[in-house]
Amino acid sequence: MKFYVCIKQVPDVNAPLQIKEGELIQDANRNILNAYDASAVEEALVLKEAHGGEIEVVLIGPDKASETIRKALAMGADSGSHILTEGSEEFDSFSYAKILAEFFKDKEYQYIFCGKQSQDTDSGLTGSMLAEFLDLPYATNAVGLQLEGENLIVKRQGDTGQEMIELPAPSLVTCSNDMNDPRIPSLKGIMQSKRKPVNTIAVSDLKNGLTNGSIKTSVVGYEEKPKREPGKKYEGEPDEIAKEVAQLLDSAENVI
Amino acid sequence: MSNLLTYISVNDGKIKRSSLEVLSRCNEIAEKNGKTSSAIVISDDCSTIVENLKSYGPSVIYTIEDPIFKNHLNTPLLKALTLAMSEINPDVMAFASTEGSKDILGALAANRNAAALADVSEFDWTGDAVTAKRPVMASKIISSVETKGSPVILTVRSGSYDTVEKSGESKVQSIPFTFDKNELKLTLKEIISATGDKVDLSEAETVIAAGRGVKDEEGRKLIDELAAVLNAGIGASRALTESGDYDPSLQIGQTGKVVSPQLYIAVGISGAIQHVAGMANSKVIVAINKDPDAPIFEIADYGLVGDLYKILPPFIDELKKIKG
Repeated sequence: MKFYVCIKQVPDVNAPLQIKEGELIQDANRNILNAYDASAVEEALVLKEAHGGEIEVVLIGPDKASETIRKALAMGADSGSHILTEGSEEFDSFSYAKILAEFFKDKEYQYIFCGKQSQDTDSGLTGSMLAEFLDLPYATNAVGLQLEGENLIVKRQGDTGQEMIELPAPSLVTCSNDMNDPRIPSLKGIMQSKRKPVNTIAVSDLKNGLTNGSIKTSVVGYEEKPKREPGKKYEGEPDEIAKEVAQLLDSAENVI
Repeated sequence: MSNLLTYISVNDGKIKRSSLEVLSRCNEIAEKNGKTSSAIVISDDCSTIVENLKSYGPSVIYTIEDPIFKNHLNTPLLKALTLAMSEINPDVMAFASTEGSKDILGALAANRNAAALADVSEFDWTGDAVTAKRPVMASKIISSVETKGSPVILTVRSGSYDTVEKSGESKVQSIPFTFDKNELKLTLKEIISATGDKVDLSEAETVIAAGRGVKDEEGRKLIDELAAVLNAGIGASRALTESGDYDPSLQIGQTGKVVSPQLYIAVGISGAIQHVAGMANSKVIVAINKDPDAPIFEIADYGLVGDLYKILPPFIDELKKIKG
């Protein structure tokens, strides 16, 4: 069984960031494997351990992002493909999905796993776009996976409850970070990752599907979210502060 | 004629308020710029929904009715939306941001060769590009985005706009649709619905959220009592949905639901940025936490420092008195 996991290097949302002249400035040394993708890698590893198979991770990104491929290999993935971008290029979800679709065109696999969204932009578009371009059945926001024969039983989180969905192979699943706690690579895993094969492909070789119109959205600026005015802290006798705040919610805020 | 089309989300036979917010915004844009604003209902039973929708005055209410839409399944919904978009040809197709719409947004955009914007908090359209604002970086930053080409498909965060009723005749037009079970690429085996008839969290005016400080049955009882007094929806931080104390569909935060109620009461929640990303737009925030340095106090309008087990009982009593 062959699993592909699409992964992305993203800025750590916990790291300090600033906006200079409308540009978002982040410390590139604080880039990490997207947490949702880490859960997708973890889930593939669990399935492989139980049922056998092979895991390849695929990443689109600059040279520096190869460290993120190594991270996934250190967790236990078998090999990687690095679709190498040049610094100046900017893609949106649609064009990322087009590039990935071109990559997968001649590949054989049972399952493609993706994170359900990137933790920096939270769009959550690329997974289902890729499924549509590849004409694959898919499920998003998976919180649990099980293999039954060659079929995948996906527990997905819907609006009011969980839906159990059976997917035939080949198909695509986007993973929530609620499904597992991704493992921390062991020292042995880190050593082994250095010998695992990573295939580098220039993004220009996968641009067949891209046209002038493939980049459909662009960011025109950033601003800091206006901070909330700091409120008041109430310390003291629980009875008194509870009463006081309850009354203010009624008299001052009118929200009771 | 260029137009906007709003997808009406339905939960348990009722229109979700968030999709009326989106329709109200589309109506406003249409009026301002001389466009038309229509709505589409895709359901196993459209009739009551259509009637209730008329007070929001969309130009046309399109319907696609089929028993397959009783439960959310992406294959038939995508087929219906693809059909609707090719028949109606909207320039802007807008959804409320729900797990249901997130499930199909990317695939629909890929199918229609459309620009897609997920989870916007503001949007506008004058007839050319759609401009919008999106919270990014765990909602610490707002990015301004712009689309190229038409159509544009977007989802809008709940609470971003007010619902505004509108007079005017709505034409109702049904779009013929067939779905053969053989087209179903996947099978829905079971629905585990845990929230039952409780208040819908994403629509609630008041939300009580429980965090790690709510340690036991006694704590959860206090949360239930508080929610009952205020007719509030109950949510939880990731810690308590992971531990199994609360259903995963109640998780509030970057990973779970984004809520923007009039009143948000965070009980025993420290306020990690991933949680704050899901509730920072609430109008009034009350936090109860025993750690005076908990980050939640930086965004709370009213911060109660102390043991929630000691604060909640008198708080509930006082609220009961006020409510009479």
